[in-house]
Amino acid sequence: MKMIEAINVCKSFGAHRVLDNINLVVNKGEVVAVIGPSGSGKSTLLRCFNGLEEIDTGEIIIEGDVFSKKLSKHSRDQITNKRKREISMKLGMVFQHFNLFPHRTVIENIIEAPVTVLGMDKDEAIKRAEELLKKVGLLDKRDSYPSKISGGQKQRVAIARALGMNPDIMLFDEPTSALDPELVGEVQRVISDLAKERMTMLIVTHEMGFASKVANRVIFMDDGKIIEDCTPEKIFSNPDHPRIKTFIEKIAKR
Amino acid sequence: MESYIKYLLDSTIFILEGSVLTVKLYAVTIIFAIPFGIILALMKISRFKTLRYLISFYTWVFRGTPLLLQLFFTYYGLSIIGITLQPFTAAALTFVVNYSAYLTEIYRAGIESIDKGQYEAARALNMDYFQTMRRIILPQVVRRTIPPTCNEAITLVKDTALVVVLGMGDLLRSAKELFSRDFAITPFAIAAVLYLLMTTVIVYFFRKIEDKYSVYE
Ligand SMILES: Nc1ncnc2c1ncn2[C@@H]1O[C@H](COP(=O)(O)OP(=O)(O)O)[C@@H](O)[C@H]1O
Ligand SMILES: [Mg+2]
Repeated sequence: MKMIEAINVCKSFGAHRVLDNINLVVNKGEVVAVIGPSGSGKSTLLRCFNGLEEIDTGEIIIEGDVFSKKLSKHSRDQITNKRKREISMKLGMVFQHFNLFPHRTVIENIIEAPVTVLGMDKDEAIKRAEELLKKVGLLDKRDSYPSKISGGQKQRVAIARALGMNPDIMLFDEPTSALDPELVGEVQRVISDLAKERMTMLIVTHEMGFASKVANRVIFMDDGKIIEDCTPEKIFSNPDHPRIKTFIEKIAKR
Repeated sequence: MESYIKYLLDSTIFILEGSVLTVKLYAVTIIFAIPFGIILALMKISRFKTLRYLISFYTWVFRGTPLLLQLFFTYYGLSIIGITLQPFTAAALTFVVNYSAYLTEIYRAGIESIDKGQYEAARALNMDYFQTMRRIILPQVVRRTIPPTCNEAITLVKDTALVVVLGMGDLLRSAKELFSRDFAITPFAIAAVLYLLMTTVIVYFFRKIEDKYSVYE
């Protein structure tokens, strides 16, 4: 089953074309690592999938429902905002800088959207949030404020918060890039656990070792285009593009 | 000695009677200006251009002219075109409109200081505009703007004294009356103590709110 489908998606900021005719299908249970140099459009691609950015032209289909469809940059999206909101419920997102709500405790961060958006009963939301916290290993931080926990813990809370909305697809935008090296592992472990549960995921990352372990597909973006879409084995051993080889070697040296 | 204490008490009671009006005006201004400030701040950063310009014009006028002039305008000026207001109504109206203008700018700056990642996280969790503002953005704005709001609240205590120009009997006017009658400095000293008492209570109150909100820092 196709979870995400992008058809001829283009997006510019001013004169700068950031997504240049993107075509991509992500199937159920796939874990897709998105790699590529900085500024190549990786974040923008993810953000178009959940509506944080509007596309200029093209079509995005989420689990068979058209989420966004535009024929030209200045025409209106054919999908209403209300409908978009319904469809984007299927996606959860995790950001590089966590973006936890600082005025809410860990558990309050997780129950916020289930209670206010889904209208879930508060006690039930708390019970579910506690299960999620157990899953990411942070039940003991239940009542801490975000400022009192480490970066790795923050990111695990952010993952639990996204999972609280019961998404079918998870988008990760460089989830470990803002972390001290010793905290990267704990976050990667949580993501690997999700992969084992067959969660459909798109992960932007610069951690090549992690990408090759967790992903069953890697796409390489360069200058707004997907220039490679293959297995981790192939991309890390003999990619078709010399650019990819240079990029991977450069990252490995860091 | 005893007669002085009695004089002191009587004077204080007299001035306190005058301060009822001061406190009333104060309460009305605070109760209306804070929510108005928040709502106008939200409108000032909305995507409706005309609305933004209108509110910018409003804050420009009311922050850019003396409060005293605004009081004259509402009380005397409007009566020329046939709108006659009671002194208290005129004063309360002017104070609310004036203080809302300052608070609008304070809250606007507060809203703009919130990291855009907060909006994105809320959006990614499918929260709508009102849910995001009410649950995520405004609580953080309120916390961040406690110090400047406290400043305004202190300034307001002293600004209330301006209503003497409308012939209203407030705290300061009562003190002045006693001064004219007795030709003694004590009434002014009492007035000063009462103002200080009010500002102290206000500062204490804001500190309490700040403590309550600062648990998450
Ligand atoms: N809101 C924006 N306004 C203008 N330019 C932007 C905006 N967001 C991203 N860009 C530009 O788009 C390009 C791609 O950005 P991004 O998708 O963040 O790349 P990546 O995540 O691969 O580093 C960059 O050149 C960036 O400067
Ligand atoms: Mg990026």
